[in-house]
Amino acid sequence: MFEARLLQASLLKKILESIKDLVESANFDCSPEGISLQAMDGTHVTLINLVLRNEGFETYNCDRSLSLGLSLVSLSKILKCAGNDDTLTIRARDNESDTVTFVFESPKNDRVSDFEIKLIDIKNEQYSIRKSDYSAVIKMPSAELQRICRDLSIIGEIVTISANKEGVKFSVSGDSGSGNITIKPTSDSDVPAEQATVIESKEPVVLNFALKFLSNFTKATPLSPMVTLSMSEGIPVVVEYKIDDLGFLGFFLAPKIE
Amino acid sequence: MKRSIVTGGGNNDKKFKAQPPPKNNYRGGGDDEEDDEFEEDDDEDEGDEFGEEEDEDDIDVENIIASDSMDIDIQDDGSQQLFLWSRKPVQDLVPHKKPLIFQQLEVDYTEIKEPVPGMPGPKVGPLPAIRLFGVTKEGNSVLCKVHGFLPYFFISCPPGFTEADCKSLKHDLNESMKMSSNQSNEKDIENIVVSIDIEKKKSIMGYNPNPLSDFIRITLILPKFVTRCREIFESGRHHFTIPGQPFRQYQTYESNILFALRFLIDKGITGCSWIELPANTYKLSETPVSTCQIEVDTSLETIISLSDDDSPAPYRILSFDIECAGRKGVFPEPEKDPVIQISNIVKNNGDAEPFIKNIFTLKGCSSIVGAHVIPHKREEDLLREWRKFVIKVDPDVIIGYNIVNFDIPYLISRARQLKIPEFALLGRIKTTISKIKSTRFSSSNLGTRESKEISMPGRTQFDLMQAIQRDHKLTSYSLNNVSAHFLKEQKEDVHFSIISDLQNGTDDDRRRLAVYCIKDAVLPMRLLDKLMILINYTEMARVTGVPLSYLLGRGEGIKVLSQLYRKAMVENFLIPTYKVTGKGEKFQGAIVIEPTPGFYDTPIATLDFTSLYPSIMMAHNLCYSTLLSAEEAKKLPPEIYTTTPFGDHFIKSDTKKGLLPRILEELLSARKKAKDELKNEKDPFKRAVLDGRQLALKISANSVYGFTGARVGKLPCLEISRSVTSFGREMLDKTKKIVEERYTIANGYKHDAVIIYGDTDSVMVKFGVKTVAEAMEMGRDAAKFVTTTFIRPINLDFEKVYYPYLLMAKKKYAGLYWTKPDIHDRMDVKGLEMVRRDTCLLVRNVVSTILKKILIEKDLKSAEEYTKSVISDLLQNRLDLSMLVITKALSKTQYKGKVIHNELARKMRARDPATAPNLGDRVPYVVIQGSKGAPIYEKAEDPLYALEHNILLDCQYYLDKQLKAPLIRIFKPIMSNPDLIFHGEHTRTIAQSTLSDNNKGFFGTLKKKKVCMNCPKELTDTESTTCINCQHKEASLYQTSLEKVTSLETKFSEAWTQCQRCSGSLHQPVLCSNRDCPIFYMRTKVQLDLIEAKKTLNRFNVEW
Repeated sequence: MFEARLLQASLLKKILESIKDLVESANFDCSPEGISLQAMDGTHVTLINLVLRNEGFETYNCDRSLSLGLSLVSLSKILKCAGNDDTLTIRARDNESDTVTFVFESPKNDRVSDFEIKLIDIKNEQYSIRKSDYSAVIKMPSAELQRICRDLSIIGEIVTISANKEGVKFSVSGDSGSGNITIKPTSDSDVPAEQATVIESKEPVVLNFALKFLSNFTKATPLSPMVTLSMSEGIPVVVEYKIDDLGFLGFFLAPKIE
Repeated sequence: MKRSIVTGGGNNDKKFKAQPPPKNNYRGGGDDEEDDEFEEDDDEDEGDEFGEEEDEDDIDVENIIASDSMDIDIQDDGSQQLFLWSRKPVQDLVPHKKPLIFQQLEVDYTEIKEPVPGMPGPKVGPLPAIRLFGVTKEGNSVLCKVHGFLPYFFISCPPGFTEADCKSLKHDLNESMKMSSNQSNEKDIENIVVSIDIEKKKSIMGYNPNPLSDFIRITLILPKFVTRCREIFESGRHHFTIPGQPFRQYQTYESNILFALRFLIDKGITGCSWIELPANTYKLSETPVSTCQIEVDTSLETIISLSDDDSPAPYRILSFDIECAGRKGVFPEPEKDPVIQISNIVKNNGDAEPFIKNIFTLKGCSSIVGAHVIPHKREEDLLREWRKFVIKVDPDVIIGYNIVNFDIPYLISRARQLKIPEFALLGRIKTTISKIKSTRFSSSNLGTRESKEISMPGRTQFDLMQAIQRDHKLTSYSLNNVSAHFLKEQKEDVHFSIISDLQNGTDDDRRRLAVYCIKDAVLPMRLLDKLMILINYTEMARVTGVPLSYLLGRGEGIKVLSQLYRKAMVENFLIPTYKVTGKGEKFQGAIVIEPTPGFYDTPIATLDFTSLYPSIMMAHNLCYSTLLSAEEAKKLPPEIYTTTPFGDHFIKSDTKKGLLPRILEELLSARKKAKDELKNEKDPFKRAVLDGRQLALKISANSVYGFTGARVGKLPCLEISRSVTSFGREMLDKTKKIVEERYTIANGYKHDAVIIYGDTDSVMVKFGVKTVAEAMEMGRDAAKFVTTTFIRPINLDFEKVYYPYLLMAKKKYAGLYWTKPDIHDRMDVKGLEMVRRDTCLLVRNVVSTILKKILIEKDLKSAEEYTKSVISDLLQNRLDLSMLVITKALSKTQYKGKVIHNELARKMRARDPATAPNLGDRVPYVVIQGSKGAPIYEKAEDPLYALEHNILLDCQYYLDKQLKAPLIRIFKPIMSNPDLIFHGEHTRTIAQSTLSDNNKGFFGTLKKKKVCMNCPKELTDTESTTCINCQHKEASLYQTSLEKVTSLETKFSEAWTQCQRCSGSLHQPVLCSNRDCPIFYMRTKVQLDLIEAKKTLNRFNVEW
């Protein structure tokens, strides 16, 4: 028996928003420690890594690991039925079950809806992701990144991100012209530490990425006010959104080579 | 020049025995004494050449010596081979005592400077001479030059023009011709116009009850003047007036027919027919211009066509293939890339096995069983020796795969680059250099094709690729695919990018290449035999009367035109020369009776109009010569003409029988005769000939309709073609009405008959009866009854019963085909994806399997189950990749917009230009998963790349865009809700994108998590297979895993042996990358799967 109760159903809704356009279906791997999801898009360019730890749930009950393979399209449709302040309970019987139940309850407890979704058996692999030592780690407001991506995608398809101690430059060039946006570390002491842009740079890095994917990642902006970009030459960038108390949603994106 | 006597060897040694030294020099087959002096004529004494009192033994030796003179550069063992190459010497040729009989294969003409004494025609040159190339029954090559035939055409005779005016017209026209000439050498010709005559003729266009009238026949000296002379009359540009006549333009008649064809028509000679030159009417040429064994001059008057003899002469067929060492990334170019191998297979027509199989190689090559390897140190020598070989072997027909567009032009260009001028002398005329000409050939049937034309007088080039493209619709015309399709044989494909590596390797490497090269020469020969292409084309040439080479190089129109001219000549009709504009209103084509889709589990009788269009033309006497204009029709009593449903008028046959109906009658009765003979004939070779003939006759009869409707044809007449189709429509409607009115319960039948579908020339009737036998009975009855209501020879025939019958839409149906009441003949499928070429193999396989299950096993449940299992396999990535490959030809360099295969080709070029597809190649691709909403062209990928990088295919695309439509179409008449097949439990297990071990790309740093094999729990360091919770399942998991490895191993070794067998070597790695071969993909996929499966198995760490 698996049961997990989340105070805000909208949280899962927000998560889904950012990943449903990257992969069509994915396994929610539930273990006593929490729920995790790893999925790679068909072109092997990006990897989604979602971790929701058990302690962030209102109640969490899992005695045996199980995978819930779900069509993300169906799931996001069902999540649309949840009110913004509803709580969510995910319930699955055991490993052999072929459905999962989502229960939404309104805050005043006057409305309870439950949905059963058929599971899909997805054959995939899981990867252990080690913390690696990045050349540059940029922490910045997530809305800022979203805006940069939106602005630059007007001009071109590939963004070059160059980071050093002084700042991070996002540059794009396209048929109609080119553009650069540079972000500098916050120097204003009035800004609270948790909202400040911080750049930790060991050595300068320059990488190219498909803007299309980055823009897609920024759909996760509502999850967290801040986002972290970790970069090193020749390996994928990690764009990570912290989810308060619960875990994080990370996106790995392979750089483009000329 | 060294002289040695060699003993015979090989299978031909009975014919060539070691002989005493020679006394005289004797011309052997295709012998070309001194290659360097190719311009020089062979000035030997005639008497010696074909001496009648020659001792036969001596002749043989001379032949050997002649061949021996050529082996200067060739190693010693080559000499034995060399004399096996030549033709048998000529025996028994006595011009004044014996006739010369041969089968002609090629016809053309040449200009000769001086007339040959004793021959008819003008006494001053230059003159045209018709050249007939052929072979005698004994297998000797012949060139027969026919003298005295001159080009001519007609104009209608203006009133008042008489015999007396001919002389002045001749003079004036001659002057005008000279005036308009811009070439100085033409000014020297005294008489361009040879004669002006008045003849009694009639135009073929329109019904004309009047007697024959006067036409002026203009005879010119050379064919090249005809066009200009026609211009003078037609255009009025030269302001030429006929003496005593006002200035006007004239319609010309028969002024645009090919000269050689005109000759054949006038002499009643058909393509590939036997020719007799009676004794004492021909003489040996004093100064032979060709390499033929027998070269004679004869007169136009005495030549006889033996049209009854249909046996084929033992002509020689050479099949060859070349290999070039290309550079990486570019298709070989003759300016830069050397020719490294040429393989040759030579066979006598009618023999089962070839008698020469050899390969000319550059650098050494290990020996090959059954083939003669002739190595050369320099490329120049290779080319020179090969040309000598061709001249020596003297083939009548040269075949190969894509030789006309690639091999021959490449060789000629390459030889030019290497400065070997004599190489291009590949034809039989000693002084004619083979030239390459680019041509465009368009037809509504085949589309526009660019191709090359190589002049090679005396040798028919027969490119199998062109023949197969013309006659068969296939997914790919690569030799691989064609031979897999027809010969059920895959072949090793060495990609041209690795040819250079092999060439630069060892003798054994070159041997591999040579084996491959020989196979490419063997396959065309086998295709030729298997498809009986030459037999069928020969029969077509005979039926239609055009030379063999016209059949491939020209459109359909020439065949009908040739027959029309022949018939018209007998009737004194003249065919006007029209300028075709290609314009004209469209008319409605064939009609379809709207189908009632459904699955019919009762016998459906099919009634067909036999030869519908020809029989309409015969029944209603539709012809150029019976056409009446509306005004003419008004003046005539209505009972003597027919008004067609379209509103055109044709005179009835009792007043005047048309030419086309008569041509058709002859064709159809000849076909009937051939079919009757076929029934009684036992000899397989003669059967093949007869079958080829009846096929040729059928095609010819059907092409007459098309000829009248071809707006860009030689003689379009839309009145005829639109009347034909309108009659067809009317007849189909009438048949429906009659059948549905007669076979009713009211009339005492058990059921009401319903026409469920009808198309062009057939109707499908549901009589409602339960058994095939009853349906046949009623079908025959109905056919007979309906036939009586139509004019002869229109004939509705009962042909077959479909039971069961699955009718999906118009032109889309399937059913079991019954001609006998006890057992069905086969499954017949029309218009389904099974036979279409733009879908992947999966669709074709699934459709055909489902149809089999539905129609033959009549098991709908299992058809449904099967479909679900395939869909499930598809979603789980368990299908063979080869099933999912779609191909499209890269036919142009510039496409409008982004086209899938062009985008992919571009992507592949960026990756590795060496293996990327080039213009004209068919590009195979698969559709891979991409980001959401990505256009399809972004998702197309090279199958091999997708396989190697473990990229997941877009199953949803295959499901929705490939499988869905055809499957729904099939299941719709059977199931109430066919959509269910695409949803439900079986679609709930899918595969997801994973990284393959050999290509992790940027995610190389990621490590696979060790998870339990039964649940998603991550394992601790001590656990290797399952977590504690799942331990009880370990044994059964091991079993499954082991089974998987074993089955994959078996599959892989099967695939591997198959590839080894195909490449003909069991101890060398398989190099093949044949993208048309399903085994190739299977092998690669199984290999990758096996690695994964073994890894899983290894986790169990079982120690014995």
